Amino acid sequence: MLKPVLWIHGEALGPANPALVAHPGAPALFVFDRELIETQRLSLKRLGFLYECLLELPVTLRHGDVVEEVLSFARRHGADGVVTSAAVDPRFGLLREQIAAQLPLQVLEPEPFVALPEPLDLRRFSRYWRRAEPVLWGRGSAAAPPAPAQRWDR
Amino acid sequence: MRSGDSLPPGDLPRQFASRDGMEATLRQLFPQAPGGLSPIQGGRRAAEAALAAIDPAAYGRSRNHLDGAVTRLSPHIRHGVLSLVEVREAVFAWLARSGQPPVAAQKLINELGWRDYWQRLWRQLGDGIWRDQEPLKTGHPPERYAAALPDDLLEARTGLACMDGFASELIHTGWLHNHARMWLAAYVVHWRLIQWQAGARWFLQHLLDGDPASNNLSWQWVASSFSSKPYMFNRENLERFSSGRYCSACAAASEGTCPFEASYEQLQAHLFPGASPC
Repeated sequence: MLKPVLWIHGEALGPANPALVAHPGAPALFVFDRELIETQRLSLKRLGFLYECLLELPVTLRHGDVVEEVLSFARRHGADGVVTSAAVDPRFGLLREQIAAQLPLQVLEPEPFVALPEPLDLRRFSRYWRRAEPVLWGRGSAAAPPAPAQRWDR
Repeated sequence: MRSGDSLPPGDLPRQFASRDGMEATLRQLFPQAPGGLSPIQGGRRAAEAALAAIDPAAYGRSRNHLDGAVTRLSPHIRHGVLSLVEVREAVFAWLARSGQPPVAAQKLINELGWRDYWQRLWRQLGDGIWRDQEPLKTGHPPERYAAALPDDLLEARTGLACMDGFASELIHTGWLHNHARMWLAAYVVHWRLIQWQAGARWFLQHLLDGDPASNNLSWQWVASSFSSKPYMFNRENLERFSSGRYCSACAAASEGTCPFEASYEQLQAHLFPGASPC
């Protein structure tokens, strides 16, 4: 891909975004996903927070149908493809497939928090943590016992 | 609404005279989005300031308390403004700088592990995070739970100072302490008998760090469809970790009608009378 545009999504709004790192200066786009915002009735707080994050990134901002907007942005810049970063939300996977049906699309992986061989037993956090904690701390043997399972995202 | 920038048709503005100006523009762009801006600001500068302020040792000691030294990094991590790798490295740098032993940062690294764990599970489960991972252990059949949140909860007027305080904070700031999330979720699911999915959708509407995997699987942890028993609490627990700030001003507490005023054994019998002993 010689002249790509970058599709920036809501899981990677920082300078570590691998698409921004790999293609500094390339035209970049973020689309406020109209369907998602309306069906989930996202509050203005959430949209405002995203907007403030985006104002500190070199991206064009649009609101509408994500696939249509990305393809239209690529045409506007005479791009020969789209580069984006990997995402966990399955919705991004569906959007990626639709874009890739029209234009070459490259997905770049961010650096993992901890590199672990697959498959991994994820039935409980304790099973994951028994594998992850020693790697994180750079030790080869068993780690300290995990904390009690009383969690929420924070 | 725009201050001087000339944009191609349909491009959204990037320059505003003030935060109020941005809010007014966003109201026009997203007329269906309820509420106003959060006092919590987004962006890399705000994220870096929050990261520079972390104290992993204090976090480990006090994180369960509403006044504890929590990092408030979650909205920035959720949207990749900070990567988990950056935060991990900042914690290790703090250890090197402070000369503290690794155990001082163990809790915070563990919490970052939770974030990674939820994301890995999301990759594995996809939209399955919206379905019960296991049967509930509450003794109630699934149809016993209501599908929607009642207005008194949505409008923060249950009459319980704690729950109304949490609901109000959620709606107005988009952030809640972890313990408050657990208490509110347990109240919704176990005291009000509402499906966890209704609560999860409510949180995702408002939380700046609203991540479907972390959020839904944590609701399932409270509900007991992703844990071996339902999570519950009593007044003593809530009062202790909130320094009594809610109970001291709560009519239910002073009138003796607080639904959380009981021992865990009493609550277990009251809330889950048909549950099998664990």
